[in-house]
Amino acid sequence: QNLKCVTHNLRKMICAWDVSSKGRHGQTDFCYTTNDLPSPVCFKTKEKRVEIPVPESSTMVTITTNSISGAAFATKEFEIHKTDISFVPLTPRILGLTPDFSTSTLSLKWSDNGSVFPYGLDAFWQIQILRKEATEKVTQVTYYSKLTHEDIILSWNWTSDMPLECTSHYVKIRCYINVTQFVGPKDWSDWSPVEEVPGKDTEPSGSGVFPQDTVVAVGSDVTFCCVHEEGQQIQRMTYGPEIYPMIHLSSRSSAIRVLNASASDTSGTNIVCTLAEGVMDGTVLFVGYAPDTPEKFSCETSNFLIIKCTWKAGRPSGLYGKRRTKYSLFERISGKNVSCEVNEMNKERVCGFPVLADQKTYDFILGVSSPIGQTESSLLVDLTERVHPKTPEKLTVFGNSSTSVHLRWFINGSFAEIQLLCQIEISSGHSERKLHNVSMPGGKFSIYTAQLNTLHPYTKYQFRVRCSSADHFWRWSDWSRVEEHTTLEA
Amino acid sequence: MAAADSPSAALRRRDLCSRGIRLAGKMRSDVISLLDTYVERQGLDASASVAAVEGVPVAAVEHWDEQGGTQRLLENLAAYRAFRTLLAQMLEEQREQLGEADAALGRALAAVLLQVSAFAYHLEELLRLESSRGPPSEEGAAAPAPPHLGLFERKLRGLGVLQELAQWAVRSARDLRQLAKLSPGSSSVPSPTESP
Repeated sequence: QNLKCVTHNLRKMICAWDVSSKGRHGQTDFCYTTNDLPSPVCFKTKEKRVEIPVPESSTMVTITTNSISGAAFATKEFEIHKTDISFVPLTPRILGLTPDFSTSTLSLKWSDNGSVFPYGLDAFWQIQILRKEATEKVTQVTYYSKLTHEDIILSWNWTSDMPLECTSHYVKIRCYINVTQFVGPKDWSDWSPVEEVPGKDTEPSGSGVFPQDTVVAVGSDVTFCCVHEEGQQIQRMTYGPEIYPMIHLSSRSSAIRVLNASASDTSGTNIVCTLAEGVMDGTVLFVGYAPDTPEKFSCETSNFLIIKCTWKAGRPSGLYGKRRTKYSLFERISGKNVSCEVNEMNKERVCGFPVLADQKTYDFILGVSSPIGQTESSLLVDLTERVHPKTPEKLTVFGNSSTSVHLRWFINGSFAEIQLLCQIEISSGHSERKLHNVSMPGGKFSIYTAQLNTLHPYTKYQFRVRCSSADHFWRWSDWSRVEEHTTLEA
Repeated sequence: MAAADSPSAALRRRDLCSRGIRLAGKMRSDVISLLDTYVERQGLDASASVAAVEGVPVAAVEHWDEQGGTQRLLENLAAYRAFRTLLAQMLEEQREQLGEADAALGRALAAVLLQVSAFAYHLEELLRLESSRGPPSEEGAAAPAPPHLGLFERKLRGLGVLQELAQWAVRSARDLRQLAKLSPGSSSVPSPTESP
């Protein structure tokens, strides 16, 4: 009695039955027939289950149980309709469970066994994560996929709320395949065998506080655990100055949960696990801010040798030393990359990039990264439009005339490719300052000269000069030093 | 024991001892204030007692009063050479971990390192006077690589180094006072009547 048939692949089904316990049974004669079979198929079996094809509509089954000596005990006929057959997928096979301790992430891989089924069926995978000898369910998720009539390896990642070192994690999976055209009852497969990622609390010398020396963003929730030797007792676990309530994980591991962590001091916040006799173990947490996207990102050159890029300092990250925010300048056209030395303690944000031969346009990406996050700003510049000459030096004024003078100055830089515009400021005693503009071809570390006429005889004048690019004005240089000169008497 | 016997050598030795005692006193007060800064900046508990840290010479010694002058100097020199290496490692880690963020602690560490180096040199001077063989050479004595520790363990280790250095400064002053009493060049133990 109780003949039940289950199919795992829609083609074959396994039928199993019970036998009354009276008397000792020998082999069983099993026969089945369907509309499209010319005659019944019969065979003997010692089992109480057989595998036969799934019928198009129904199958007639005849089961004859025999005594040890072969005499027929009882015969029973069953008609198995398609609606009576249950569909239960095979138990999924976990191919791999890989921990990434640095990110507390478990990576699960399994085969969807799709080759067994027609194309396009919807499959649902229930995945359970457990702890405490696989007795405590941490989470259960349902993952969806579509079968493609091929065996596809599926993968799924899960990030734990606590370091994987803290205690062993277990994973199991089962599936449900929505065979729409299958008329019988459909059910979840069995759970797969449990796969384990052992925690440090299973290792003889696994003691320690975890995570070790990690960096998180302000506002994060972080779980720390203290793994100790068997039999040791934790007196307290502190986060900074505060004692926290402990969460029991196993006989060798307890945890605390820190919520909404605030920015840490420069040397980080200590998490200390104090065991008996004052023995201490601990870790350090650095809590800071993700880098801001650089604003007012601007680049210019003062000498056509170095391009100086500047940007506005964002919110301090609160991270220092090897965890500090790092900056790099990448130029897309040349592919050249430069890392920038930036001192987070002062406000200035500057980075130098070499002017490249035969390259006028620069497509910059300022990359910003820290252990908490990364961002970038980009800027496309035509260097000839971003000339900010250095301060003119060694200004000298000479002349042996009563109404004109010659000025000479030097500018440190190579401006051979552009035209310079220089402005000379003339002031004397009580008269109003005058500005005289003069443009001249740029030179390479050159001396520049200009002549001023229509001056007043026997008059003491102060002169100073500044320059910029004549072709595309960007910024004036600073003024040179003032130079005095008195014109000759008329 | 040629040089040690002449009055000028004895005078020089007494001068070196008294200057060494002053150096040790200054070093101790600087180490104490560095300890306060260190505990505060590293977020440690001031009452934390650190178990003996591997590689850190221990100041406590048995039968202190039975030690001879040369042995005292040799033990002191070995200790301060070790502290010089340990403090240099701490300074390097400080720069790596905090960069410019905690320059004050970095400067204080560097200052104490300078004093420890000076004190080691001072001990070498004394040993040249005290023993014909002079101070043991440091060639070939490569500094042991710092053990791979987590940050918290490094903080505790640093605390242990400074706590022990403070103890050594006290012991060194006592050793040098003891040395000043001994007749020059004697590595023997003072008779009980002379012991402090």
